[in-house]
This record gives sequence, C-alpha cells and structure tokens, in this order.
Amino acid sequence: MNSHKVISIRNLTPSTYVIRMEKKDFTFKTGQYITLGFSGSIDRREYSIYSAEQDDYLEVLIKEVEDGLLSKKLKKCKPGDVLDVDGAFGHFSLKEDEIKNKKFMFISTGTGISPIHSFIHTHPEMDYTLLHGIRHKNEAYESESYDPNRYILCTSGENTGDFNGRVTEYLLKNPVSPDTICYLCGNCHMIYEAYDILEKQGIKLGPIHTEVYF
Amino acid sequence: MKTIAFKTLGCRLNQYETDALASTFQNNDYKLVDFDTEADIYVINSCTVTHQSDHKSRHFISQANRRNKDSVLVVTGCMANNAKEELENRDEINYVLENDNKSALFSLVEAHFKGELKHPSQLDKDLFAYGATEKGFHTRSMIKIQDGCDNFCTFCIIPSVRGRAKSRSFEAILDNVRSVVDNGAKEVVITGVNIGRYEFEHYKFDDLIEAILNLDGDFRLRISSLEPDGFGDKFLGLLSHPKMTPHLHLCLQSGSDEVLLRMRRMYNIKTFKNTVEKVRTIRPDFNFTTDIIIGFPDESETAFTDSCDMIKDMEFGHVHAFKYSIRKGTRAERMENQVPEKVKTERSEVLRGIAEESKLKYRSQFIGQTQRVLVETINGNTAKGYGEHYIPVQFEAEDLKENTFYNVSIKAIVEEKDGLLLGELI
Ligand SMILES: Cc1cc2nc3c(=O)[nH]c(=O)nc-3n(C[C@H](O)[C@H](O)[C@H](O)COP(=O)(O)OP(=O)(O)OC[C@H]3O[C@@H](n4cnc5c(N)ncnc54)[C@H](O)[C@@H]3O)c2cc1C
Repeated sequence: MNSHKVISIRNLTPSTYVIRMEKKDFTFKTGQYITLGFSGSIDRREYSIYSAEQDDYLEVLIKEVEDGLLSKKLKKCKPGDVLDVDGAFGHFSLKEDEIKNKKFMFISTGTGISPIHSFIHTHPEMDYTLLHGIRHKNEAYESESYDPNRYILCTSGENTGDFNGRVTEYLLKNPVSPDTICYLCGNCHMIYEAYDILEKQGIKLGPIHTEVYF
Repeated sequence: MKTIAFKTLGCRLNQYETDALASTFQNNDYKLVDFDTEADIYVINSCTVTHQSDHKSRHFISQANRRNKDSVLVVTGCMANNAKEELENRDEINYVLENDNKSALFSLVEAHFKGELKHPSQLDKDLFAYGATEKGFHTRSMIKIQDGCDNFCTFCIIPSVRGRAKSRSFEAILDNVRSVVDNGAKEVVITGVNIGRYEFEHYKFDDLIEAILNLDGDFRLRISSLEPDGFGDKFLGLLSHPKMTPHLHLCLQSGSDEVLLRMRRMYNIKTFKNTVEKVRTIRPDFNFTTDIIIGFPDESETAFTDSCDMIKDMEFGHVHAFKYSIRKGTRAERMENQVPEKVKTERSEVLRGIAEESKLKYRSQFIGQTQRVLVETINGNTAKGYGEHYIPVQFEAEDLKENTFYNVSIKAIVEEKDGLLLGELI
C-alpha cells in the first residue's frame, strides 16, 4: 500500500467528482481498479482508475452514494490530503492483440464509465462505440472528452440524450454485430440483462468483459 | 525429546503447510503427538473463512492451554492475520505467527527454547520455504505452487489474510515434485489459494501441469481446488493424461448468474456447465466436486433453487456446502438484504439432502468397476484409501502395504458411511 497526495478535486455534478492524485511509480493496466482509503484508516473501497496509463497522475471518478461512508468522506478531501492506494487489481482489461484490429462496444451505467474512459484515453485510436446509461443528462460525465460520433448517451429519466431509455433497451433495438468485442461495467442488474441480450445476438463474453460495482 | 502437536483448520494449503512444518520438527528430533494429548508445543494452524472456523480456532486454543498450561502455544494461519491484536492480547498464546512468517515456525520455537525471545516480525518471510513433507500425516504429497489471491470475490476474506497472488518458481516446483516422487510419494497434490492463476515468467498453470505430468516416476497427479475461470482448452486436454486423476474440485459457489455477479465471480453458469460437459464427453465418470455458499445476501428462493438444480444437473460427487457468514471488511458485509439465519439453516438442510443424493448416485456408478486405490491406512487385513476419482474405498486382503496401489473391484456402497465404497482385490 502506498500513500498518494491529492492534487485536485474536480466536481462534475453536485454528487460526482474526480480525485486527481500524484502517480509516483504506480503502474496499472487500463481497466484495473485500486482500493482507496484515508491514510491509516481501515475503511477502504474499490475504485476503477479513470485516468489513462500514460497520464502522469492517477484519477478516480466517484459518485457520492446516499448513506455511503467513504464516497461521502472522499468528496470532502482537499489538495494535499494523503490517501492510501492499493492495487492495481482486477482482470477487466483489453487484450493487446485485439486493440488495433477489432471493433469494440463499451456499455456502462453511471460511474461504470470510469474504466472505459481509461480504455479510450489510453488507446484513442481504438474503433469503439460507447453506450453510457444514466438518468439525467447532467450525469454524462465529461462526455466532451469522447468522439461525438462514437458516444451514445442513453437517458432513462428524461428525453435529453441520444436515446431515451436504458442501455438494455437500446441494445434490443440496435443489435450489436457478432464480431464486436463488448465490455460491460456498472451495476449488477444492467450487466445481467445486457449479458443475456448480447449472448442472444451472438456475442461471446469471457470473464474479463464484465466489471460489477454493486 | 520435546513433543509437538498440531491442529489444522480449513483448506488444503493449511494442511500442506502443517505437514511440511511437522516434518521439519520430526527431522530435528521433536516427537509428533496427537493434539488431544499433553505436548510441549501446540501449534494451531487456524482458518478464518467463516464464523464457524473462527469459533473452532478459538476452541482449540483454549483446549491446548487446558492440556498443558506451560506449553509453548503458537497460533498461525489466517486467523492470526485477521485477528492478530485479539490473539496477541491473550496471555496463554506465546506467539502469533502471520501467514508470511509461518514457514519460519521451526526457527521461532528453537529460539524460544534457547532462551532467545524472537518477535515473529524478526523472522524470515518466505511463502514457499517449506521443507519436504515425507514424514507428514498423509500418503498424498502436497506441493504448494502459489499463495494469495487477487480475485476479490465479495464474500471472501482470503485476499486480506493471504495477500496478493504470488507464484513459486517453475523449477523449484518441478524439483519439489521430483524429490517427493524419489522419496516414494505415489500421489502428488497441487495446492495453493488460487492455483489456476499460476504465473511464473512465461509459464502459466497449464504449462506447469504439463511439465509435472511429463516427469518420470510411478505417481499420479491430483489438482486441489480450482476456480472455474483460470484455465483453457490446453488444461482440459491434460485431464486425459494417464497420470492425471479424473477429479477436480471446481468451486461453483452459486447456481444463479445474478448471485455470481454480485459475488464478483469470474464465470457464469453457462461456462461452468460447458467445462463440465466438455470433460465428461471424454470421461463420463469424471468426478466434479464443488463448494456452494448458501444464503449470500439477497439470495432469492429462485436463486437458491438454481443452486439445488445445478447440483442435480452436474451430478457432483461431493458438495462442500456452507452457510454464508459475514466477514468483516468484505463488500458483501455492506450488501443489503442479508438472508436471515433461520432461512439459511432451512436452505442448508434442503441443499445438503440434495448433495447427499447426488453423491450417492455418482458413487454408485462405480459398483462393478475397478478403482486403483492408493492405500493410506491399514487395520489388520482391512485397507482404506482413495481411488483415482478421489472416492474412499475399503477392501480386505493379506500382506497389505501402505502407500501402495491396488486394483480393487467395487462391489458395494455403504450409505451410512458417507458413501464409502467396498471392494475386492483383483
Ligand atoms: C471493482 C469495483 C470498482 C468500483 N469503481 C467505482 C468507481 O469507479 N466509482 C464509484 O463511484 N464507485 C465504484 N465502485 C463502488 C465503490 O467501491 C463503493 O461501493 C461506493 O463508492 C460506495 O461506497 P460507500 O463507502 O460510500 O458506501 P457504503 O457505506 O459501502 O454503502 C452504503 C450503501 O450503498 C450501497 N451501494 C454501494 N455502492 C453503491 C453504488 N455504487 N451505488 C448505489 N448504491 C451503492 C451499499 O449496498 C450500501 O447499502 C466500485 C466497486 C467495485 C467492486
């Protein structure tokens, strides 16, 4: 476990923020997560790494959870505070031999876009489509950082995105071609349903292709 | 001669580590005695995977202290990592030895008797520095190939007590196998925390297994517990190797995809079934055994029924079923809809009944077949051991020898004795 100083906090919505920390000699594979906690505290939580492999800082994207312990506390941290970082962990990662010559579909809900942000910013040349499911448009975290032709915003609470409804409804209406490599990240129910839909559309999903947050 | 007694709880890896430690003491003129007799040194190699294992570990600590108040009492294993402070505050315990110091137990005890009081933190940390287990308690020789786990399943405390995954050197493992086989081991058991994730330099798990299978000698290879995500077709192909035993303990945990997702397991029911089907197409009587957790948070009646149905469908040869218990610091501790204890107990009874039926059904198919039994214990003319499918077999014969293979024709199954097979020497 290593101590990392907070460089800055970027508030994206009233409840969602990005913590930027010093990177030091930390290394990871894009898609992996860290566990994060205040220096010396036993309360730690998992957070996907939001920044790219080549960035000289480390970032996580966090949404404050109602009645949540750490997501609330972390929101209050200030530049100069010290956080304990452990990792990198996890097998949610791209295959080297697929990055350049395959077509990707990234399906995420809420902060589940975090490792996808890291994928895309680590490998901007990738041929991808990104599906981001949220309730309201203000949760389209830093959507301007993706190629607008590749980014599809699904809003379920209002008709302000590119598609009005859940990502699963989008997938049902817009089948994915079977030669696409799909990665799913977010809540368990979305992943469970999307998995089923994609399988029926002929997509093969291995263990590295899903990341469940809660 | 000083006497030493061990009590081992939990997994095979703990068992291996105890065997290896016991051998080191025996080779250095200590006498190994039963845990329920008086000893100069008691070692409790504890487990913390469930509440029950914590409870048992505490019970054995008290028992050891009652037997000999002046003994040196050492607690090691996963509880020593997880409840270090609590254990260090108990006066009757002399040393609390965390997993990464465990292999240095002998030097700790030796130092103690020489009057040099060492703190465990001064000991060498080496996860693989265990001696050979030739004088241990088992005919099967366990070989540790890795330690720790990076999977972070939401119910599991192992990553925080065993640490990150670390693999032992490829050559050291092969040397270890060669040496136990040269010393007469007839069955080699590959063990670790998450062995499917073995990775050393460019060698993966299947490369290691292939290399072990290709070693000379009259031995058979058994894989201990395996996660269903850690291997591919190359490994499945190796299961047909003549030295490989037709048995895998493949940890399912739940028969419901929704529950598996919340457990953050790395496979789904379909891939699990595919694996079992692929193997059984080649070898229909292949023995799959498994673990199932009952009452994981938010486990619905349907999800529970899915687990029961999986047992029937997969015809497991044995199911290690345990009720979910909250482990502090894990994600599942914070999950909503924890299942009430009463419901867990009811489900547990139902599932155990189904598992029992599945076991008997699976084992009954061996009546009329031959098993190659490695004899472990002999009592007069009665021998007991395990066949290649890892099913206990008993038979009668004269001039029996331990640690020897016998071909036995299976005649009956004893339901009251947990499905023990009875046979006759061919
Ligand atoms: C591999 C992995 C990566 C993750 N990456 C991220 C990430 O990049 N960004 C991020 O914001 N979170 C991420 N999470 C979730 C994160 O670890 C915490 O669970 C979350 O921040 C809540 O922690 P807390 O201490 O505030 O809430 P807790 O005190 O742990 O929980 C309070 C309650 O909220 C529920 N809950 C927990 N998480 C959520 C959630 N995400 N949404 C709604 N309810 C929830 C719990 O079931 C509990 O009932 C990830 C989780 C995993 C397993």
